[in-house]
Amino acid sequence: MKHLIIGVGAAGISAARTILKEKPEDSVVLVSQDEEVYSRCMLHKLISGERDAAGLNFVNDGLLEHKNLEWIKGKTVTRLEAATKSVYAGDEKIASGDTILIATGANSVTPPIGELRTAKNAFGLRHLPDARGIASCAKNAKEVVIIGAGLVGLDAAYALLELGKKLTIIEMAPTVLAINLDAHAAAAYQKLFEDKGVVFHLARKVVNTRGDGRGNITAVELDNGSLIPCDMVVMAVGVRPAIGFLEGSGIKTERAIVVDDYLESSEPGIYAAGDVAGFSGVWPNAQKQGEIAAYNMCGTKWIYDDRFAIKNTVNFFGLLSLSVGAINPADGDEVLVKEDRLNYRKLILRGGVPMGIILQGEIGGSGFWLHLIKNKMRIDNRGKSVWKVSYADFYGTQQNGEYKWVV
Amino acid sequence: MKRIFIDQEKCDGCKNCSFACMQAHRQTPGTVYDLDLLDPKNEARHSIVTNGKGGYVPVFCRHCAVPDCAGACMSGALKKDPETGHIQYDEKRCGTCFMCVMSCPYGNIKPDRVSRTKILKCDFCVNDKEEPNCVKSCPKKAIHVEEVVWEAAV
Repeated sequence: MKHLIIGVGAAGISAARTILKEKPEDSVVLVSQDEEVYSRCMLHKLISGERDAAGLNFVNDGLLEHKNLEWIKGKTVTRLEAATKSVYAGDEKIASGDTILIATGANSVTPPIGELRTAKNAFGLRHLPDARGIASCAKNAKEVVIIGAGLVGLDAAYALLELGKKLTIIEMAPTVLAINLDAHAAAAYQKLFEDKGVVFHLARKVVNTRGDGRGNITAVELDNGSLIPCDMVVMAVGVRPAIGFLEGSGIKTERAIVVDDYLESSEPGIYAAGDVAGFSGVWPNAQKQGEIAAYNMCGTKWIYDDRFAIKNTVNFFGLLSLSVGAINPADGDEVLVKEDRLNYRKLILRGGVPMGIILQGEIGGSGFWLHLIKNKMRIDNRGKSVWKVSYADFYGTQQNGEYKWVV
Repeated sequence: MKRIFIDQEKCDGCKNCSFACMQAHRQTPGTVYDLDLLDPKNEARHSIVTNGKGGYVPVFCRHCAVPDCAGACMSGALKKDPETGHIQYDEKRCGTCFMCVMSCPYGNIKPDRVSRTKILKCDFCVNDKEEPNCVKSCPKKAIHVEEVVWEAAV
């Protein structure tokens, strides 16, 4: 069998690896717009100069040199023909397969405001060329405006601070990292960035841009009328699944590709994983979806059931946070908070079941929270403070020595 | 692959294993007798937890067949060694996102407390020819090494 995988991100690479492990005689064709394999989570390290492009490569084995793997790089798929399971770039047929995995990821959203979509000095931060563009433009930029104070926006800020730029960050939400952290935990990061000279405009929108008439933005205008001068703009306001090329293919899409429990699309034999499958964009889940889709492409039926994706970790300037589940309580929830000079910990309980946790400061050994929260396991009946609960309270071993959870 | 098997009933919480782990991973020369137990650089890679009933729960890395830590790793720093089956960590690759810390359901990974630029996890004393130092040091034989079946990857 020949398996065609479009995309070389977390999902595409893990799928390729799984297929070649499961079916060593099968062949895999990887098709990617990217010319290199790189971890999107580390693009800011290229901007800051900490790493070169090779240093962003996350493939740590001989996968790409596997004798049954062919990688067609630098090709943007513009059309997929479901009947023949073929993909095209314009009129050129690039490849076909007995099965297809669509793992094309997502593209950054560019707001239709002023010249943001067209300016030479305005960038998203999603692909390697974006990071290279920012690094190159930054050479001649002194003042940079970043739109969006989520993880990507702050990653960009971190990198541009390393390069000594003067930064202004504009965010619609009233706090930074609003998707990941509560106001208290977010304020700690805001302060760290402010201490480095970053100016934040929170609960503000960009409504227009001013240009130099030669395709460069020279200032952005906010909804309170203020003008922020800049020589470069980085947009970090979210992403949209990269599914434009599926138009007319017959594959059912909504905001993302519609898939069943096996990650199969409406067209038999065509699967989707990662951002294009529409669950959530965190790396561990994309990787897992690639793996599960691969098993199904090989004929072993695996259900994708570990869909919990409200989880993340944050690390800026050595201040670490872990956030899983709800960040703010619903009516009737119990909220427990512990705080000292170096730590902030917030636990939300509903009927003794943890709904969400934020740990800021020390996060070592806290991975069990994800299991407790996603499996809705009661923790108030273990005969100890809920802060003392850990995997040890659910300890058990299987015959092969692996752990199990004993309730 | 080799895995550390745990006989929980036998553990009496002496923490010889923890000292052995700290000694095995210390960066300075010396013997266990001059090991600085208060230096956070010397942190052990596992934990021994009291069960509140006079007993102890030893929690050591399983080097899982399907490792969630390595699955969460966006830099390729964590990898299941195709030969030994052990999950090894390449500090130079690590992007310090700490998603692995969040993803180990048993809480066996922690950020290095001092530098915050790497993680601490069990390496099965990869540089020692014999069995892991924790196992060697256990006076109760509460932990021992066994060979388990694990399918090698690509």
